[in-house]
Amino acid sequence: MTTDAPAALEVRGLSKHFGGVRAVENCSFTAPKGKVTGLIGPNGAGKSTAIDLISGFKLPDAGTVIFGGRALEGLPPHRISRLGLIRTFQTPREWRGLTVLENVVLARWDEGRETFWRGVLGLRQAQREATVGELAEAREILEEFGLMALRNERAGNLSGGQKRLVEFARIRMAQPQLVILDEPMGGVNPVLGERMALAIEGFIATGTSVIVVEHNLPFIERVTDHVVVMSQGSVIASGPFASLRSNQAVIDAYLGEMPTYEQPSA
Amino acid sequence: MHQALLILGFGLVTAAILSLSAVAFTLEYAVTNVANLSHGEILTIGAYAALVVHERTGSAVAAALAAAVAGGLIALAMHAAVVDRFIRRGTPTLVIFIATLGLSFVIQNVLVIIFGAANRAYTIPSGAPFQLGPFLWTALDIEIIVSALAITALLFVIISYTKFGKALRAVSQNRELARVSGINANLVASATWFLAGLVAGYAGFILAESIGTFTPSFGFSFFLITLTAAVAGGLGRAFSTMVGAVIVGIALEFFGGYVSPGYNLAFAFGILALVILIRPRGLFVNARRSVFE
Amino acid sequence: MTQYLVSVLTEGAIFGIMALGLNVIWGWSGDFDLAYYGYVALGAYMTLVLTIGRHPAPERYILGLTLPYPVAVLLAVVAAMAMALVIGLIALRHLRGIYFSIVTLGAVYVLYTLAGQFVPLFNGYQGLSGLVNPMADVLGIDFNSYQYFLLGLAIAVFLLVYLFLSRVSSSRFGLALRSLREDERAAAAFGRDIYRLKLKAYVLGAAIGGLGGALFATYVTAFNTSAWAPLETIVLYAAVLVGGRGNIRGVVLGVFIVIVLIEESTRFLPEIPGHPNIVLALRPIVIGLALILFLRFRPQGLLPERRYIDRIQEKTKQELAT
Repeated sequence: MTTDAPAALEVRGLSKHFGGVRAVENCSFTAPKGKVTGLIGPNGAGKSTAIDLISGFKLPDAGTVIFGGRALEGLPPHRISRLGLIRTFQTPREWRGLTVLENVVLARWDEGRETFWRGVLGLRQAQREATVGELAEAREILEEFGLMALRNERAGNLSGGQKRLVEFARIRMAQPQLVILDEPMGGVNPVLGERMALAIEGFIATGTSVIVVEHNLPFIERVTDHVVVMSQGSVIASGPFASLRSNQAVIDAYLGEMPTYEQPSA
Repeated sequence: MHQALLILGFGLVTAAILSLSAVAFTLEYAVTNVANLSHGEILTIGAYAALVVHERTGSAVAAALAAAVAGGLIALAMHAAVVDRFIRRGTPTLVIFIATLGLSFVIQNVLVIIFGAANRAYTIPSGAPFQLGPFLWTALDIEIIVSALAITALLFVIISYTKFGKALRAVSQNRELARVSGINANLVASATWFLAGLVAGYAGFILAESIGTFTPSFGFSFFLITLTAAVAGGLGRAFSTMVGAVIVGIALEFFGGYVSPGYNLAFAFGILALVILIRPRGLFVNARRSVFE
Repeated sequence: MTQYLVSVLTEGAIFGIMALGLNVIWGWSGDFDLAYYGYVALGAYMTLVLTIGRHPAPERYILGLTLPYPVAVLLAVVAAMAMALVIGLIALRHLRGIYFSIVTLGAVYVLYTLAGQFVPLFNGYQGLSGLVNPMADVLGIDFNSYQYFLLGLAIAVFLLVYLFLSRVSSSRFGLALRSLREDERAAAAFGRDIYRLKLKAYVLGAAIGGLGGALFATYVTAFNTSAWAPLETIVLYAAVLVGGRGNIRGVVLGVFIVIVLIEESTRFLPEIPGHPNIVLALRPIVIGLALILFLRFRPQGLLPERRYIDRIQEKTKQELAT
């Protein structure tokens, strides 16, 4: 915790056991606001479980998560999302049967416009205008991500890299306070790495803090301001990426020299 | 107390038949990850095969064999013609589940065409019931229980100690991994379904004997109870399924004994719903997932 | 001939309503609900016990009122919704896939057994009858013309349901619902309350099913457990699947093909001497095969789901170019 900037997310003492396995054990770290925080560690370090715990997809055994001034643990995923924390998953989870444009438009949850009765009675004038504006925004975002030509395509027909871009477009559309990217480079052509790095810069520029879980260390080096290292369920080090290379605990966790080449995608 | 033990005795007979049917269903599920909704039809076909052979030969043993073989063959056909094709295409298991429901209707009604929809009597002289400890059983009842135990023991030996059994367990745990280690997953799956069909066909035979009559849909009705036992025990776990079957079989008999037997199915489903809601993975939950738990 | 046509069209409209309701639950929400026909049955039963008054013993059933027909239908729909709420609250909380299906199958079997065995409820296996030409006296329709009235009513209700669902489908609610079907976790990650949305869809579908059941009871003037065979659910599923799951136009097509065509074609097959069962058994066989074949070769159905196609931008580009 070397930064004095306000925290986008604070994790304190998070723990989760599965049977006899301690997936996450007294895990604590802070993700500063307006920055990109990396979350790295060898396989089995508990990163994904930690993300599940933070985002509400799993219930912690102990610990707390502070976001936007409130405690998140115990809340279901959709409530956490509505508070402004959105996460992605290790495999692209686009809405396959819907078009790319529908995917992006749906990224914003709008209680007023989504109720059943609104569906039957139709939207009010102000809501209709909001919808039109939203569509325009969605098109702009798709344009920015180079997906405009594909906007009427069934999202399930896209390539893996394109699906990741749709996910990023969705995040852009939703403009959350914090986005947690779970291995975004997984299964993606490394060529898209720069594209993704630019997208992440775009998130920061529009006010979204970022946490990235990744195995691809050059990518982490490229995009992050601050890195948290996990091993065997706990945080063993944190700081700027460069400082970790010589950190003995980190090196031990990775069993030798910290890899400088690209690890094969999962 | 005497009454309770009596009912327990009857319950054991039901449990015996139920456990065979449930184990067969579980084997099918374990090796293909498909809940076969047309499983009941394997029992029905077994019963009809036994009837036909019994009428021709007058031998109960031949009838039993015919039931088993017919069951094995139809299960093999189900797997090859429908289930396996969907699996090869990577179809989600829920879709295959729906397809087996369609298959159930096709088979039931083909049987209606061949044999007619009416009740068929299947009476084998069962002899007078006699006292065995606190239980009141006929010779038929004892045959059923003993044969069920024997088949169960045989299955246990096959699955635990033979090469085939090892392959079966491997495929049920992780098909891809098994394939990579040189096991022909498709062959193992087909063979397992054949084995399951043998057991289920025989179960149909003893069920028909036990009840005395059957129709083309009797397997489907019994299957719903089988499903209860299989899910209660934990889908894919052979031995806890058997324990589940014994519990369900006995519980059903008690329920039917004290309340009207017409509600049997409803009661079975009541149990099922409760089990799924409390412990969706079955009553005997274990962190590992293998055929044998 | 006209009488035959009238009855086929009336049946088609009624089954169309049922299939549209099923499409909400399976086509849009993605839940393979095996309890669906239970809601249809409840709609039928309730309509009867609320209109036929009290028949003398040995018939026994609850209520036995003689409410005005529209009121009875409304209450029947509410009853179906109530039952769906109970089952949905339990089954949709944690269960998906085959576990959900099995629990719903169990629920409907329990209800089916109760309806048949517990006589004081709906007169057991004998069922209820006697709903003859409701509203005829109010509207002054004579006995012979009633079939046309019923046809008109069925079609009118069908069109209303169709238009209603058309609006729901193209709304944001409908889109959010379908995103649940496509990927629940992602939907939750983007703020959607999975449980609540699915529950709403479930109760909505059941309401429409109950409405279909009410009309069915009106058409047949009676209802009992033999009209409630597991096959009926499969027929509806086949209709939705063949026509196009998720697409309400597809559902209409599916009803036409599966229910009207197959039903009527098997009706005209000649009796084969010595095998009286063939014709009766052929229908479920054809439907079962259709189900399997479509699942294998054309799971999206004949008319795949429609998506919103965005055209505006292209026009603007063209305008800019000139």
